[in-house]
Amino acid sequence: MKKFQSSLKTKRARLTRREIIRRGGALTAFLITGCDSQFYKPPVVRGGLMGIADTLTMATQRSLMSNDQLVQEHDPREVTQNFPVWNQSNPEDEDYQRLKANGFEDWVLPVTGLVNNPVSISLSDLKKMSRRTQTTMHICEQGWSAIATWTGTPLLSVIQAAGGIKPEAKYVMINAFGGWYEGYDMFDVSHPQTILAYGMNGKDLPAGNGAPVRLRVERHCGYKQLKFIKSIEVVSTVEHHGRGTGGINSDFGFHWYAGA
Amino acid sequence: MLKKQDNVTVRHSLNSRICHWIMALSFFYLLYSGVMIFLHFPELYWGKVGFQGYPAIFKLEDWGISWELAERLGDRRWGRNYHYLFAWVFVINGLVYLLWNGVRKDFYLKIFPRFSELSFKNIKRVFIFQIRFSVKNDVSMPGYNVIQKLCYVFVLFILFPFMIISGLAQMPAFTAISPELIDLFGGRQTARTLHVICSLLLVVFFIVHLVQVFASGAVTQVRTMVTGSYVGSKSEMKVQ
Repeated sequence: MKKFQSSLKTKRARLTRREIIRRGGALTAFLITGCDSQFYKPPVVRGGLMGIADTLTMATQRSLMSNDQLVQEHDPREVTQNFPVWNQSNPEDEDYQRLKANGFEDWVLPVTGLVNNPVSISLSDLKKMSRRTQTTMHICEQGWSAIATWTGTPLLSVIQAAGGIKPEAKYVMINAFGGWYEGYDMFDVSHPQTILAYGMNGKDLPAGNGAPVRLRVERHCGYKQLKFIKSIEVVSTVEHHGRGTGGINSDFGFHWYAGA
Repeated sequence: MLKKQDNVTVRHSLNSRICHWIMALSFFYLLYSGVMIFLHFPELYWGKVGFQGYPAIFKLEDWGISWELAERLGDRRWGRNYHYLFAWVFVINGLVYLLWNGVRKDFYLKIFPRFSELSFKNIKRVFIFQIRFSVKNDVSMPGYNVIQKLCYVFVLFILFPFMIISGLAQMPAFTAISPELIDLFGGRQTARTLHVICSLLLVVFFIVHLVQVFASGAVTQVRTMVTGSYVGSKSEMKVQ
């Protein structure tokens, strides 16, 4: 009996240790920032040492940032000719092709979920809302960078047009044509340079760069800059989207936080 | 086991031994994962922007490895994850090393060359001595010679911080946190290119380091770096 008990004990101890390692990332965030760690760690922290590294990166970078600090804006003369077209350039989605054939006249952006007044915004209405133009550098995690001028509506204005968020709202999930989806926390959503861009270099957004509307979330790598936007949903948890890690990129093993 | 006449001296302190081997591990992973990331985009540019089709200052294609082949050899997802993990190991280990040693006077005496050593004549003498692989005679001498000291100071206080800073300058978050840092390099692509060049310098240092270890007796040197104690006469005979 005694022997049995001791073997039980070791088993429990092992599980605890494994649990501690699994929760290492969350623990790191807690140690760095105290209880309010939402903006210092990704919605789902990866297991093991990788989660600790992820959290250290995100927590240190976020603690160096404030939300009125803008990213560097470049001289419009520095705009890159032949801005690269990366990943999907023309979603095969039937709905998308139908909208494209009609010059996106019928495109509407549903803003749903934990907002006080869900709305659908047409492209022409979006263009009538508050506008921001910024010349910024696009940095791809693969290594390339290019400069473009983007014109669009601040994401915050769009959320406000839907009556603002409910108290339990934590993340904004954006869905795109072609099956892409990505989640953003309120720290990025409320940043003045986070815009839904419909213009690029003074013209309508080209097809290859995400027509009719793409996201610019300037403090992140390219893989967070979602193209071909379809709908916006404000959520309290990311677990119901894809594999539940908060975006298609983190679902496939990239870090959710792409400040790099 | 050791006899008194074996002339045992403590050569490496406990902290430098621990930090050395953690550094060695993180250097291996950082280099390997760095290569994996680079292979996925095997071109280098100068200035702010650069992409496939933009005039490059270095193309792996020119060296017989096509873009497609390089892409297949590399694995940037694995590379990125491990590069960040071991960057943190490297940084934390480096800080521990500096804090642990920075308070000790003998650390500065050991690592930094004295003014009297810095004469051209002395450096030339030591260089000729080293190039003939006469380091075997040198292994019993306590402390580093002037060239070793200069190399260690260069790697520890110039190359390592430069690697970290040029790494940070590539991150989009730093376009908000500190765009001055990126401007200091003259652009994001320049920072990336210098990061790669600097890593090649570290590889050269690493190769010379290994050659020296083997030339002066790998068994003795590795044991000294593990146990900290340098055992004189007997072990030297074994190596020879």
